[in-house]
Amino acid sequence: MTLAIILVVAAVVALGVILRLAITRSLQAKGNASLAATIRPIDIEAFRNLIDPAEDDYLRWRLPPAQFRVVRRERLHAMAAYVHVVASNAAALVRVGQLAVASGDPRVAGAAQRVVNDALLLRRNSTVVLLRIYLALAWPNSGFATGRLVDGYEQLSGAAMLLGRLQNPAVPVRLSAML
Amino acid sequence: MLQAHSFLWNYLWLAPSGLQVGLAVLLWRRGIYRSFPVFLSYLIFEATEEFALFAMDVLPRVSPEAFWKAYCVGRLIEGLVKFAVIGELFSHLLRRWPALAKLGNRLLRGTGAVLVLLAILAAAYAPIDDPRFSLVSRAHILQQTLYVVQCGLILFLFLFASHFRLAWDNQTFGIALGFGIVWCEHMATWAVMASGALLDKRELLDFLNMATYHVCVLIWFYYFLVPQRSASASAVPAQEHNLEVWNYELERLLQR
Repeated sequence: MTLAIILVVAAVVALGVILRLAITRSLQAKGNASLAATIRPIDIEAFRNLIDPAEDDYLRWRLPPAQFRVVRRERLHAMAAYVHVVASNAAALVRVGQLAVASGDPRVAGAAQRVVNDALLLRRNSTVVLLRIYLALAWPNSGFATGRLVDGYEQLSGAAMLLGRLQNPAVPVRLSAML
Repeated sequence: MLQAHSFLWNYLWLAPSGLQVGLAVLLWRRGIYRSFPVFLSYLIFEATEEFALFAMDVLPRVSPEAFWKAYCVGRLIEGLVKFAVIGELFSHLLRRWPALAKLGNRLLRGTGAVLVLLAILAAAYAPIDDPRFSLVSRAHILQQTLYVVQCGLILFLFLFASHFRLAWDNQTFGIALGFGIVWCEHMATWAVMASGALLDKRELLDFLNMATYHVCVLIWFYYFLVPQRSASASAVPAQEHNLEVWNYELERLLQR
């Protein structure tokens, strides 16, 4: 009987999750206009500094072990906050890109396809990096590289810019002068 | 009214199968079967199986043992077809995004393997009440085992799509939602039946199963008949605010 109770509870929870996701999907379909508001800028320079292994090595050398662990954990918490924003921005761009894929203009559709693929990869990598950060919180002395995440973010930025330009060529793009 | 072989019982047993035949014809006429060949096969198989089981249940010359044997074989084949439908839904979800296909397939297989192990474990602990009705008990345990795996896989599908913000097309979503609801409900009821509980209220659980399945078929009809909302299919241009944010972002990247 215990097994049946466990399975019934699991079924109710699963049904609740599925219905909630179904409702969320229909609400999202109505609220596409608010996508832009969900993208949050990231201070990439600070993020790069935070994940720089040389910084960690310097702190390890300068600080007593106990204090290093405290500082390292604080840095890991900050990293996790950054990675959450990266993942959230990637999710927003997946939706922006998916909506643009249906465009009649093949250049826009191609750029949108690239944005979605890059954003999906970035979201996947963000999940892996977050898991590694949480593991590192338990073992602050362990080291790991998140450089690929920043590279992926930069790549996605480029793809998103291209898509934006193709969709809105009339909007002045300040970057064009710098590129 | 809530008794076996009442009018409502017969209606709930046969009506979903009739509707499935109608849905299969609809898929065929509109050419949608090319996108969902496995789902079409499922509809045809399920309808045929239910009509055959109903006939076996009603005909007096068919022994209960023959009925339950046919029931077990039918459910096993149906289970395999349903797993193929899950694969079809997953490939629909990922077909445009090769970046995720490999990871998705690996995760689906891994989740499936874990669920099979859990379902086998649950089956091993399920009681067989009365040796005289062991075939019936085994059929209940078989159903519990299949629905544990199917319910877990459909939940995984929804969570995966939600995590990566993957857009479902209307028809794929409708099929998945229908199966999601019915498999969760069936997992709960078959777990109760396999445990040997509520022996005197089995008919009520049967009614619940059949009514939920009826709703599930109506959900499929809705999603295949109602056209996809144009807003989700049309391209929504990136707004100026997006460009501003990404401009700002890239400027800083270039200036570092």
